[in-house]
Amino acid sequence: MIGSIPLSHVLLASGALFSIGIAGALLRRNAIQIFLSIELMMNAANLALLGYGAALGTHQGQIIVFFVIAIAAAEASVGLAIFVALFRHTETIDVNKIHLLKW
Amino acid sequence: MERLIFDAAALMAIVFAGLMVAGRDPVKSVLALVVSFFALAVTYVLLLAPFIAALQIIVYAGAILVLFLFVIMLLNVGPERPDGMRRPIQTFLGSVAVVVFAGLLLGMFKASGGHLPAQPEAVAMDTLPDPAALARLLFSDYLLHFEAVSVLLLAALVGAFVLARRENAP
Repeated sequence: MIGSIPLSHVLLASGALFSIGIAGALLRRNAIQIFLSIELMMNAANLALLGYGAALGTHQGQIIVFFVIAIAAAEASVGLAIFVALFRHTETIDVNKIHLLKW
Repeated sequence: MERLIFDAAALMAIVFAGLMVAGRDPVKSVLALVVSFFALAVTYVLLLAPFIAALQIIVYAGAILVLFLFVIMLLNVGPERPDGMRRPIQTFLGSVAVVVFAGLLLGMFKASGGHLPAQPEAVAMDTLPDPAALARLLFSDYLLHFEAVSVLLLAALVGAFVLARRENAP
């Protein structure tokens, strides 16, 4: 319990968001939308971390989330730069049309 | 009351995340995700993390998603078009993986009942924590991690510059 919020609600919301993120990452073809789904999964993990941190009465959860956000920013900048470079070479970011490394 | 607001915000985050995944237009997807992240920021405040909520709005909704919008418009990516190539196996396996994963999560959740691990000294916080306490922790116990992240961000900056640069640029 955090205030009057049961921890189970936090975990259910986090699990639902993570599942939606997995669905997006597996079923979409647009690289941008796959990337957005990955960001969503990170946020679902953050939600669970903050829920447990608050329920256990520590600051550790918030510290981890702080680092996750910093790393997400780095990841987004590099990932988007890769898309720009990819688009320059192949004129598409549809992941099914980028199959140089497929057998 | 807190519980109602939390449930409403979490539901809104989930609904807009669903819209993000279901939409075909990347611009609409990004905008749906912005709304979802704002709703998540509300839940963060209710989970006694106002500083993280501010970071969520400034860094995620403000910086990262605007960067996404910028790249979408730079690349002029249109909505995903059906290209006539059905991929039934891919779609089927993806859906199965999602259902299995969600089922595993739910089963795990049911088995644990959402209970906390035993932690004798755990005292649930009831008031908003002081952000100064967070800063003190960050700059004492976690100073090394903090500096490592600064190096990581610098590396990402240089990497993004090298990747997105034109190859024959002077």
